[in-house]
Amino acid sequence: MKTLDSPWRYQPEEGFYDEVLQPSGAIRPHWRGLTESILTLGEGGFRERWKEGQRLIHDHGITYNVYGDPQSTDRPWPLDPVPLVMDPAEWRSIEAAVAQRARLLNSILADAYGPQRLLKNRLLPAELLYPNPGFLRPCQGIAVPGGTFLHLYSADIARAPNGNWWVLADRTQAPSGAGYALENRLVCSRVLPDVFKNSNVRRLAGFFQAYRQTLTALAAHQRDNPRIVLLTPGPYNETYFEHAFLARYLGFTLVEGGDLTVRDNHVYLKTLGGLLPVDVIVRRQDAGFCDPLELRPESMLGIPGLVQAVRCGNVAIANALGSGMVESAAPSAFYPSLCRQLLGEELKMPTVATWWCGQEGPLSYVASQLHNLVVKPVFPRPGDQPIFGARLTEVERRQLVSKMRAEPGKWVAQEQVALSTVPVWEDGQLAPRHVVVRVYAVAHEGGYKVMPGGLTRVTPSLDNLVVSVQRGGGSKDTWVLGGKAEEQLTLLPPTSRRLPVSRATFDLPSRVADNLFWLGRYLERVEAMVRVIRSMLPRLTQESDATQASGLHAGARLLQHQGYIKPTSPHLEAPLLALLYDGARRGSLGHSIHLIHSVVWPMRDRISADAWRILTRLDQQFAAEPPPEPLRLSAALDLLNQTVITLAAFSGLTLESMTRGEGWRFLDIGRRLERSLQMIELLQHALAADPVVNRGELEAVLEIADSTLTYRARYQTSMQTDLVLDLLLIDEANPRALVFQLARLSEHLEQLPESRSRTRRPAEARLLLRLLTNVQLADVSDLAAPESLQPFLQRAAADLRQLSELLTRTYFNHAVTSHRLSAP
Amino acid sequence: MLLRATHTTTYRYSEPVSICHTEVHLAPRPSSRQRLLEHELVIRPEPANLDERLDYFGNPVTFFCLSEPHDTLTITSHSVVALDGQAPPLTGISPPWQEVCDQLRRRDNPDTLAACEFTFESPLIQLGPEFAAYAAKSFTPGRPLLEAAFDLSHRIFTGFTYDQRATTVTTPVREVLKTKQGVCQDFAHFFIACLRSLGLPARYVSGYLRSGPNSIGAEASHAWVAVFSPGYGWFDFDPTNDVMPAADHVTVAWGRDYSDVTPVKGVALGGGEQTISVAVEVVPVPPPAHAETD
Repeated sequence: MKTLDSPWRYQPEEGFYDEVLQPSGAIRPHWRGLTESILTLGEGGFRERWKEGQRLIHDHGITYNVYGDPQSTDRPWPLDPVPLVMDPAEWRSIEAAVAQRARLLNSILADAYGPQRLLKNRLLPAELLYPNPGFLRPCQGIAVPGGTFLHLYSADIARAPNGNWWVLADRTQAPSGAGYALENRLVCSRVLPDVFKNSNVRRLAGFFQAYRQTLTALAAHQRDNPRIVLLTPGPYNETYFEHAFLARYLGFTLVEGGDLTVRDNHVYLKTLGGLLPVDVIVRRQDAGFCDPLELRPESMLGIPGLVQAVRCGNVAIANALGSGMVESAAPSAFYPSLCRQLLGEELKMPTVATWWCGQEGPLSYVASQLHNLVVKPVFPRPGDQPIFGARLTEVERRQLVSKMRAEPGKWVAQEQVALSTVPVWEDGQLAPRHVVVRVYAVAHEGGYKVMPGGLTRVTPSLDNLVVSVQRGGGSKDTWVLGGKAEEQLTLLPPTSRRLPVSRATFDLPSRVADNLFWLGRYLERVEAMVRVIRSMLPRLTQESDATQASGLHAGARLLQHQGYIKPTSPHLEAPLLALLYDGARRGSLGHSIHLIHSVVWPMRDRISADAWRILTRLDQQFAAEPPPEPLRLSAALDLLNQTVITLAAFSGLTLESMTRGEGWRFLDIGRRLERSLQMIELLQHALAADPVVNRGELEAVLEIADSTLTYRARYQTSMQTDLVLDLLLIDEANPRALVFQLARLSEHLEQLPESRSRTRRPAEARLLLRLLTNVQLADVSDLAAPESLQPFLQRAAADLRQLSELLTRTYFNHAVTSHRLSAP
Repeated sequence: MLLRATHTTTYRYSEPVSICHTEVHLAPRPSSRQRLLEHELVIRPEPANLDERLDYFGNPVTFFCLSEPHDTLTITSHSVVALDGQAPPLTGISPPWQEVCDQLRRRDNPDTLAACEFTFESPLIQLGPEFAAYAAKSFTPGRPLLEAAFDLSHRIFTGFTYDQRATTVTTPVREVLKTKQGVCQDFAHFFIACLRSLGLPARYVSGYLRSGPNSIGAEASHAWVAVFSPGYGWFDFDPTNDVMPAADHVTVAWGRDYSDVTPVKGVALGGGEQTISVAVEVVPVPPPAHAETD
């Protein structure tokens, strides 16, 4: 009986290799350090540590997207606290095998896109090349820098019951998960710092440094300081979190296809300041989608003309376009002989036994052994799932065989491996799960350097043999022992010459400027709404004091006008609480905060981690269950108070931690513009709508506008419309006043690229100058009459809306759609 | 026989296009059947850059980019080719088609290996038993390959309706089998689907047809197919006109299907609504005066 001592009660299943326990029940030597530490911690201690780990995952916002799940765009990353520990000697052989396989696949790609000797010498069947959708004919003959197609390669490896490792799958298109491996390490080493330190775990930073060096060396121009971008298909991609994380970690600009353009066979990044040349593209988008002109025409994610720019040698892409060709399982049946032929070596780690059915011998074998095999299409289409022969009925098996006989070259079968097991932490104890390790190799100094670690994934249950985070599996940190007290590595690039001082930080794509502008507007809009509701709730509970009650009208009219509550509501309490607690309703606070979340999400690489944490907590607060009825009103006030503080903290952190560049500027422009509009609407509905303004309304307006203190300091208890208007419209010292926002906007516009590059003020600056002067020169004693206040405010609102449109047209015109041309 | 081909493509946009990348297959490809004597490509407005190369299949291809705002784009290709006008081969002396299938499976020489690339599915051509079943009436056991192919071409010519409104450039071949309507491109794709579904190589040929009252499909660029006979090479069939092309067909490019050799394709940013007009004229060039005195 194999068990680990109480309290862990870990009991692996018979028939599988267990990573921790030997068949005798003894702990394998390289696991002793970890298991002893865990035992010392005890169940309770471990539980505490893991709470901290989950908090870190949440705070770091480590997420992934589940395709086809409309409920959420991102879910917390599933990490298990118990790392997988690897013996150093065994790892050395894995390292050698993965590096060899990367070289092998790179040679196969070089042949397929070059002389095609493997095909001519009949070492690789034509069925695996010609109909391969990953074989991109426009890329044939393109010389890739240094002959390297695979800059990053990953292999999924697993251990069979006899203790040997097998390769289950190759990832060559745009291998994912290296960033998650790094995040797993950051979390795990913080949760188990003592164990981590004592175990001499090998560090991951050197691997990423090598990756960065490799990418930097790809640049054909500006070799000392090339512009490298990370191309993502966008925020809906499964691993978007990782794209943003890696871009920030490696110091690259995160871009979508629409951010890039090709001119004169060179690739440029569209920024606010104009077009900036791009030297290297790190591709996280499938190659087929990268150029609608020469590759898949139906994709508009790509960059027209990109293939031609690559052909001309003006931009390098990693991995090279077309490298997805060797992801299919079928060619691996030929790898032992190809390895001998191309590298003159024996294949160091076998692929899980694979039969390509395009040959008669393998086909008959597969047909007779179906119950032991997993069958897949040679070139799976999206949505194709592997077929487990063991799960088919006799009739289904016969049907499958006849399908295979009709088109044998389209099918491949693989042995179903009995994956080894590892303990996962579940309900306070350790339970066995099957495990697959994704190992990464990066092209470096003429060979491949393997990450000393990897992304370990476990199955959701013991009777499931598919590891997929998409389908409920989990992940683990991977500890390769035998590290020395390694020197601290930094990711700042080594260069052959010293760089001049640079004030530029990130290049700001127009799309991101647009997002920041709207983030500023949404933040301010939510804050305004919170302040309005907050001014109303206490007035609801106070006994019918006429002054107090009249203070409700201003807010109610404003909320009605903005469409948040119905004009017919006789009682305000229910609709106001619904605005707070009904997160599913459009326009509710919860919904608006979620909207902010979704605007920030695609800019994860530009928002500080602290600011992100604050936003995530706020989102959570609104997602929580509302308190029971009698306490609801009081709890609502609490929540609103907290929200005001949290929003201020978020804005403060975001603005304070941002370089005073164009990104910051657009965020602040959005805020100032929205704050101006909100002030105008407040005054329109509180003061200009009613010929007789009473004290209660003026008090409510001051409160909503956060200017009560200033007003009292100046005028004590006297309440006059003209004085309130002066403070809220024209007082340049009041940071809530309209004129204050306009003055800041004017400063910003002076600094935008369009203004700096021209002698005459652009239209938006002229418009704003006129508006600012109008407000500065306004006479509050005139404006106190509703018939003059209303047109004044209307005109100002119209000017501001036009300003927003002008800015959009000048700076965010990336949204123009493209057309396909095709003519016979 | 000398033929002069003039092919004009005009795009008009309702709003200006700010940048446009275009790839064209418009220069006739030299072959054993034709020599290219003159070729000129005129693009208005003038492109910012233009590159010429041979594509994967060896066809001349031109890539250009317009990066100044424009609301009209005109691409005119002028070509003069000399066709040797050889009479079509006797279809009866080609090998039995099943023997060709066997050779294609063995692929034991460079020619059959290269030809086998044209036996697989391609972006616009799916394969399936329904195509093999349609072809079976022509491809009877033991029948010479080219005779069977000519018969298939004849059946398409008589059984299918030429209708420019019936299909678009992306109509699937299965749809063409169902409706039996379309234009030269659809008939060529369907013919190819039939041959490949039997295991025979067939490729798509894009080109021009000499203008004339009896030529179907001469007003735009034309398309037909080529069939491979091991040891002899590729033989052209035009199912739209029920002929084996000789002196009236100018070959521009060949590939697996239309998507490999689209005459003009591009991606334009902006532009609003677009209208396209295409005009093709192919006329004989009178031999030069001094040739008569020779």
